[in-house]
Amino acid sequence: MDLALTETQEEFKKVAEDFVKAEVPAHQMTQWYKNKQTYQPQLVKKAAEIGWLGMMLPEAYGGSDVSTMDCAVVFEELGRGPVPGPLFTSGILSAQMIFEACTEEQRKALLPPLCSGASIVIPAIADKAAYWGPEAVETRLSKTAGGYIMNGTKRFVFDAQAATSFLCAARSEEGKVVFLLVDAKSPGITITPHVGFFISVAEVRFDKVVVAPTNLLGSSGASWATLETALDKSLPILSAYQVGATQEVFDMTCEYTRARVVFGQPIGRFQRVQDHCVDISINLDMARWATYETIWRLESGMPARAAVHEAKAVASDGYYHGTNYAHMVWAGPGTDYGHPMMAHSVLAHTLYQYLGTPGHHKRLMMDALYPRA
Amino acid sequence: MDFNVSADPPHVVEFRKEVAAWVAEQIKGHEHLRWSASWSTREDDEEYKFRRGLAEKLGAKGWLFPLFPKKYGGAELTVDHQMVLETELFKYGLNLSHTFYTLARIVAPVLIRWGTDEQKAEFLPPITQAEICVWQVLTEPHGGSDIANCQTKAIRDGDHYVVNGQKVMVGHHLPPDFLWTLVCTNPQGKRHENLAWLHIPANLPGITIQHMNLMMGIKNAVFFDNVRVPAKYLIGGENNGWKVASTHMELEHGGDGRIAVDPLIERVVEYCRSTHIDGKPIIEDPRVRDLIAEMTIELNTLRRFNQLIYWRRFAKKPHPYGGPQQRYYQRMLRLRNGERLQAIMGADALEQNLSVHEVIDFEYAVRTGPGQLHGGGTLDTDRLIFARRLGLGRPTTEKAPETD
Repeated sequence: MDLALTETQEEFKKVAEDFVKAEVPAHQMTQWYKNKQTYQPQLVKKAAEIGWLGMMLPEAYGGSDVSTMDCAVVFEELGRGPVPGPLFTSGILSAQMIFEACTEEQRKALLPPLCSGASIVIPAIADKAAYWGPEAVETRLSKTAGGYIMNGTKRFVFDAQAATSFLCAARSEEGKVVFLLVDAKSPGITITPHVGFFISVAEVRFDKVVVAPTNLLGSSGASWATLETALDKSLPILSAYQVGATQEVFDMTCEYTRARVVFGQPIGRFQRVQDHCVDISINLDMARWATYETIWRLESGMPARAAVHEAKAVASDGYYHGTNYAHMVWAGPGTDYGHPMMAHSVLAHTLYQYLGTPGHHKRLMMDALYPRA
Repeated sequence: MDFNVSADPPHVVEFRKEVAAWVAEQIKGHEHLRWSASWSTREDDEEYKFRRGLAEKLGAKGWLFPLFPKKYGGAELTVDHQMVLETELFKYGLNLSHTFYTLARIVAPVLIRWGTDEQKAEFLPPITQAEICVWQVLTEPHGGSDIANCQTKAIRDGDHYVVNGQKVMVGHHLPPDFLWTLVCTNPQGKRHENLAWLHIPANLPGITIQHMNLMMGIKNAVFFDNVRVPAKYLIGGENNGWKVASTHMELEHGGDGRIAVDPLIERVVEYCRSTHIDGKPIIEDPRVRDLIAEMTIELNTLRRFNQLIYWRRFAKKPHPYGGPQQRYYQRMLRLRNGERLQAIMGADALEQNLSVHEVIDFEYAVRTGPGQLHGGGTLDTDRLIFARRLGLGRPTTEKAPETD
């Protein structure tokens, strides 16, 4: 048993920490979130230079070939920003899905530009917000003489505005869920940002978009099971990102209890206020250690499917509830869109449902532990 | 990062084989007495005799406190050896700290930290070799969580302390050999500086013990009536009782860590698989599955917190609030799980089942939800300590007391 980070991981962490300080200072980050300008191309460029795009991929495809834990340490620090942009969507989830689903030829064509930042591949999976899973894939692929025509509307596509292409799930004429890449500039695609209490999400409409058969991932479009394999490796990275974000909320809230004076004393002397901080800390550490243990299971080759779902559920719950408890401490000032709390608050609500709500992942965890008859 | 508690380095590979064979031999014929993960409050002579016997055999080999020096009843082994012992015992639902009903897991490390060489030599071996049973007796009728407001007086009289007072809600159903306690040596003295810690032989004249039948099981009131305690039983020196108490409480309040798994969920799943409604096992019911999911996640979280604290303790990486965090979480979890059990199985969760160990008895789990919210200090003191360790509203953070 050794629950410490390795020396390499400490170094990775430091690099990411310095990156966040230099490139994503709180005042700047807050403005981006406030103005809904969360796609910042310069961040993607710099991240690619450091090797953070596709970092878990083998070097042969342009990746950095680092372990899941090494990668998680970086994303945890990025979450402290919280650094916006497609570092997870393109650099982790799409990268892993292409790696899992594609032929060798496709990997060689698709992954190096993804790792260099030349292409940004954004997953566009579900058509329905109320559910996550193959059942929520409704976009249709109709066969034509030369290929396919794609029709449908993907909603709440995270980082849609950064996309050079979309990694879409669609239904074949046989009703099977298949995956394909669609150039974001294809005629018939309309991207409309969603407006509301969330961030970085847009509706992507595919109106008679022409798709070549070679755009299917792999020889026949892979399957939902392939996505699940990619998610096993990707979701813990998203969990780590949320752990970092919750850590930031916790740290700034504890600091506020020392600085903010009302009724003649720092608010941290009030036991009710202390209780909120205790609750944030529990949410934070629940998420952190569930995430780390999951990654250890993955890296040790142990069964990890249930743990992956548990960590996603706990990390999304943790960021969401941690942020809500922080609002109890921050009160009025924390509700200003010009305050870092609001960036965290909208992001926590967005990530709560992104790739499945905590409740959904808890059910998937149960199915992995105790399969239904 | 490595969460594996059985990843043996080369120097313990043979040791695991030895321990596995030895434990299997001891368990033979007693397989039905699994689980000692918690404090037991039941009168069950067979279980008590078995576990006490096992503890004595472990103690004779120095295995109950494997890290301690041999002269104090330990075996001078490494943490890796200790983890072998823990994991092999856990195969039978047992663990080192709770092999039998004594507070040795806390008392022995506190003696190591605060005892004089003479005291360690005299007091430790009987404790570490499981020859005696020690109770902690701290709570007083009026003090509650405020144990520094100690009314039990110990006034020096030559080579003795004369002890008068009362402690409540302590111990269990079988008598102690020693009482490990905090007393006030100077009623006029300054708070925290007027206390002493005594290791009192329980058979001294003037000590009376009365059972109290409480929600969480049998506990006791202990009365001291002009009890003359030889001064050699003073631990940590004159008026230093609060520092000794701080070490003690850090270990009691979650700071000791553990690498065991709570067995409750296993039995809940078994119940849900074997209980049918309308021809279908209730484990298929989505509502039941959601409840089990919450229980699973929270028990997993507790296991991870315990493991983390265990690792930090032995890797010498002290953490300011791991202890109070674990303790607060653990108690709230028990409370929530009690309700979940009722939500899953209705009145079956309220019926006592004496055929299983109490840590896996649903009724015990439900009843001790509210019943164990306060032992050793209320939830609110947990959060108070937590807040100090976080430095909320303060310029500095409080460090965790030394435990080893």
